[in-house]
Amino acid sequence: MHPALQALFVIVIGVGGCVFYFYASNIFLDKVLYPARGPNAGRNTNRANMIRPWLFLFPALALLCLYLAYPVFATAWLSVFNRDGAFVGLGNYSAMFAEPKFVESLQNNILWLIVVPAAATAFGLLAAQLTDRIKWGNFAKSLIFMPMAISFVGASVIFKLIYDSRDANLSQIGLINAVWLKFDGGVGSFLMLRLVPFVLIGCLFLAILWAGWSVLRPLVQGQGGSILVTLARLLGAAVALFLGYELAIWLYGIATNELPYGTPQVWLQKPYWNNFFLMAVLVWIQTGFAMVILSAALRGVPEDTIEAATIDGANPFQIFFKIKVPQIMGTIVVVWTTITITVLKVFDIVLAMTNGQWETQVLANYMYDKLFRSLDWGMGSASAMIIMLLVTPILIWNVINARKEMR
Amino acid sequence: MDGIAGKKSGLVWAVHLSTIALVLLWVVPTFGLLVSSFRTGDQIVGSGWWQSLSTQVQQLAAVRIEGDEVERDGVFVIEGQLYAAGTDVSAWGTSSREPEAYEPGAVADLGDGVTLTVGADGGFVLSSPSTMADLRMPRVFATASTPPEFTTGNYSNVIASPLAGQSIGQAFLNTMTVAIPATIIPILVAAFAAYALAWMDFPGRALLVAFVVGLLVVPLQLALIPLLQFHNWIGIGKGYLGIWMAHTGFGLPLAIYLLRNYMVGLPRDIIENAKVDGATDFQIFTKIILPLSFPALASFAIFQFLWTWNDLLVALVFLGTGNDQQVLTGNIVNLMGSRGGDWEILSASAFVSIAVPLAVFFSMQRFLVRGLLAGSVK
Amino acid sequence: MKTKLLVSAAALALGAGGAMAQDLKYPVGEGAFNWASYTAFDEANNLEGQSLTIFGPWRGEDQVLVESMLAYYTAATGVTVSYSSSEGYEQQLIIDAEAGSPPDVAVLPQPGLIADLAKRGFITPLSAETATWLTDNYGAGASWAALGTYPGADGTPALYAFPYKADVKSLVWYSPDNFADAGYAVPTTMEELMALTDQIVADGGTPWCIGLGSGGATGWPATDWVEDMMLRTQPPEVYDAWVSNSLPFNSPEVVGAIEAFGTFAKTDAYVAGGAAAVASTDFRDSPKGLFSSPPQCYMHRQASFIPSFFPEGTELGTDADFFYFPAYAEKDLGSPVLGAGTLAFIMKDSPAAQAFIEFLKTPIAHEVWMAQTGFVTPHKGVSVDLYGSAALKKQGEILANATTFRFDGSDLMPGAVGAGSFWTGMVDFVGGKSAQEVADAIQASWPK
Repeated sequence: MHPALQALFVIVIGVGGCVFYFYASNIFLDKVLYPARGPNAGRNTNRANMIRPWLFLFPALALLCLYLAYPVFATAWLSVFNRDGAFVGLGNYSAMFAEPKFVESLQNNILWLIVVPAAATAFGLLAAQLTDRIKWGNFAKSLIFMPMAISFVGASVIFKLIYDSRDANLSQIGLINAVWLKFDGGVGSFLMLRLVPFVLIGCLFLAILWAGWSVLRPLVQGQGGSILVTLARLLGAAVALFLGYELAIWLYGIATNELPYGTPQVWLQKPYWNNFFLMAVLVWIQTGFAMVILSAALRGVPEDTIEAATIDGANPFQIFFKIKVPQIMGTIVVVWTTITITVLKVFDIVLAMTNGQWETQVLANYMYDKLFRSLDWGMGSASAMIIMLLVTPILIWNVINARKEMR
Repeated sequence: MDGIAGKKSGLVWAVHLSTIALVLLWVVPTFGLLVSSFRTGDQIVGSGWWQSLSTQVQQLAAVRIEGDEVERDGVFVIEGQLYAAGTDVSAWGTSSREPEAYEPGAVADLGDGVTLTVGADGGFVLSSPSTMADLRMPRVFATASTPPEFTTGNYSNVIASPLAGQSIGQAFLNTMTVAIPATIIPILVAAFAAYALAWMDFPGRALLVAFVVGLLVVPLQLALIPLLQFHNWIGIGKGYLGIWMAHTGFGLPLAIYLLRNYMVGLPRDIIENAKVDGATDFQIFTKIILPLSFPALASFAIFQFLWTWNDLLVALVFLGTGNDQQVLTGNIVNLMGSRGGDWEILSASAFVSIAVPLAVFFSMQRFLVRGLLAGSVK
Repeated sequence: MKTKLLVSAAALALGAGGAMAQDLKYPVGEGAFNWASYTAFDEANNLEGQSLTIFGPWRGEDQVLVESMLAYYTAATGVTVSYSSSEGYEQQLIIDAEAGSPPDVAVLPQPGLIADLAKRGFITPLSAETATWLTDNYGAGASWAALGTYPGADGTPALYAFPYKADVKSLVWYSPDNFADAGYAVPTTMEELMALTDQIVADGGTPWCIGLGSGGATGWPATDWVEDMMLRTQPPEVYDAWVSNSLPFNSPEVVGAIEAFGTFAKTDAYVAGGAAAVASTDFRDSPKGLFSSPPQCYMHRQASFIPSFFPEGTELGTDADFFYFPAYAEKDLGSPVLGAGTLAFIMKDSPAAQAFIEFLKTPIAHEVWMAQTGFVTPHKGVSVDLYGSAALKKQGEILANATTFRFDGSDLMPGAVGAGSFWTGMVDFVGGKSAQEVADAIQASWPK
């Protein structure tokens, strides 16, 4: 039998089997095990309703446990053995934290975790809001979505071409360097490379400080919440403070740095900045994802709330930030979470473009290196555990959110 | 009224302009690759893709003179054309050290009475008093302006390459075989679970949500060896069944997470009314939730399809690399040869593999909108 | 039950697809090939109906070449061979071995990795006769046999892998026309090479093109340089001690070799684009500088595979040629050659797998590939006239004339170093760090 036929077969069997399972097990529960009639009708209905969620959940949970939870436990187990199979306790972890490359990847990952989800979600929200209102919106959406259809390796190729650098006396084939060489330090350079970035980043700086303050304000004003909420607020404020600090350094740099006009730059080999060039690739890809999900959510915002606000004289910006954004907050959390997790797992981009050299190492690539280059399952597993630990704040945030929704 | 209308149209313009700016920013990288995919490898590394439409003045690669010798009045002559039509030579030379030594039409003395002339159109005349059969032919270096040139050769290389006996059509089919079941099955399984997590009351629900979110982050690389071991142990080994199961398992957390989030947002009164009317959970799910969740199902279907389509790692590990199993990504990677690729193959193959996911997105977009309209009617 | 049905259906579909007959590239009995060895092998082996899966590093055009060789094995034995490869084949092989579904025969270019697999008991040892055969029939046979010998799971050393196909790395590529235009002669000693380098700079040119870029593997071309310099400044025993880390990476001998590489790569006037461009230039783009006009550089040190990245239409012998990367005349170290190669080993034992190793011993398994392109062999029984080009023949001669042959050291070192810190260390070195600093860091990363 041809595999394609087999695939058809599997679709039919898989889909049919699933439907049959759900249908038959429900019938069995309602008609045979706990029939809602006879002397115990009431008790039976209650019992059936206690069991039913598990019927719905069973296939998914079984697959999840087998394909994901089991490897996690296996990993945790492996992470306390060294490469010769001897038990070392937390030795792998302490060895890892002593490695400068690991500390570097941890630092970089924190930067990635803040910048990429924020930028991709913000651009996605912007794109969703803009394209919702115009006739050619669907076309625009398709174009912004296009990078999603390109594999990470393909995307790395595209951006390698963009960041390419060659000798000053050859013609540049990298777009960024070609544009860069157009600047000569004159008025145009001052406008485009100093004034405009300074204003833009200055605005971002103020916005982040404001956001940090509005997260922190309820605490300062003494409005208590649960411990989780307080923790989340503190974390948010800390992130805002950190970003504010980074941006302040940027602002200072933009205002004062001497720029090497006229010489092509090897962008991927400029420590610290090269991280942002790599992040740009992922933001470019993930914005399409954020846009699709957020635009569905935006369209779900009830028209009457918007009309009411319009009648009250709210301007479009107020409608967007005060009416729409709060209503789709749940979806924003989902998009943010998903992109955060993608960030934690992405290694292809870094592997293909710099392989973590020039201070661009990230945890996922570090892990890949330990697993398949060094064949050191202990260290590799330990770094995987760290990756999974990093997701804890996101986990807490989601539990808070889920509780809120269920009330 | 006028003032408000004026402000409105100003805003509309702003929306259009910022959308255009955003779209341009997002399209330029891909567009660059698209243009590059129609250029030859030497052109791609020779000049930026944005210059490909303009006539360029550049130093051409050295060409060694060849041709048949003709004897004319005791002088041996080789005549011919060095470059493609449209090339306009502005200077030329016969040594790599002085590539611009002569004007077009000037006569270069190569010693022993041998002379060479290259015209502006690239025509050359090499003449010698004695036969040149044993002469080492000179090379010509020229600075010339060349008209833009495009080729579809990269695509025919990628599509028709007979390397390793596997055609790209076969690889396409294999990828389809992997991707379609691996898209449909997780959606179905996840939809039921998502409904239970969103609308059914049972102890430990929030914990289960956290469990699913926690599993989202499990790095795939860790799961490969234990799972392949498991597949070997239950006897399915490497094959389509294994990869379908693997993709289903890996795709489930996100499917459950996205669908649950969407279902939680569905209007509560519809579901409660149905319950009052005596509908069972199973009926509510199939008759109300599923149709209303269509946009969410469609968008997850798109993402899952894209991932399985672009995946290489899972396919290599769970499916193998034989001709009737190799997927498109694997086929393209193999095309690049043992030592990594050239721009032209990379760019053409990127567009060959992007075609199907884009078609899927365009066709699914209709459903995204339709489902949403259905959802907004309450 | 359903599962089983599907599985057997899949197996059937597989079997049907695998059995593809391939025509033999050279008809049996014609030409200077050693057909006697083929007929003898044909008569000794009849394994009709069996199958063999081979997993190797060759993809793209190389895959076509290896399959042309495998066709003779199939024709002689009747075994159905399915060869496959993939990007990241090392990782895939590790995963398959750990999970229990390895190929029957695997071919890898990294002896270090094979040693690791042997230690974990994934490889079937080869017979002692095969080891003797290698010593007797390969040029510098003992060193080739040693290359495939590792301690197994129980700690006893045995021959596990059979070397097949070699690459010569100590080559310097140049354009004979450019040399003729400028009046340069091919140097025969390292001193002459250094003088030529300075001469080119004095004439206003740039002598070298060096590019270390290779995506995730950026840095590896520099490891070849350092190994070549190591062989040219130290006796082979020191090289061996270095590779096994009994001589620490940060000892003065090694630091000296790194610095010797640095004289070429870190002198702005010596390299195209200046020292800063070395790490960022892709190794595939780097040789193109030889052929631009005016030439960006005059010489490029790289292994025998590099002509695949020359501009289209470049003819070996006329437009491009190579010479042996020479040794110092003042140091009495003979003419050492750095090389690499691939080794075949059995992961699932079967008569077909054993017969495959036997097949690799026949001259015909070498001659079919060497008559085409990209193949050099240390097999002494092959007829050297069959080499597909003068360039290959010349490489074969370099290999044969070597007083010392050493395998690429980075492939012998543990993966964490040979495919990790050695690469990144070299990038740091050309990026400005000192040789001592870099060597210290690499030594620290050596797995204890």
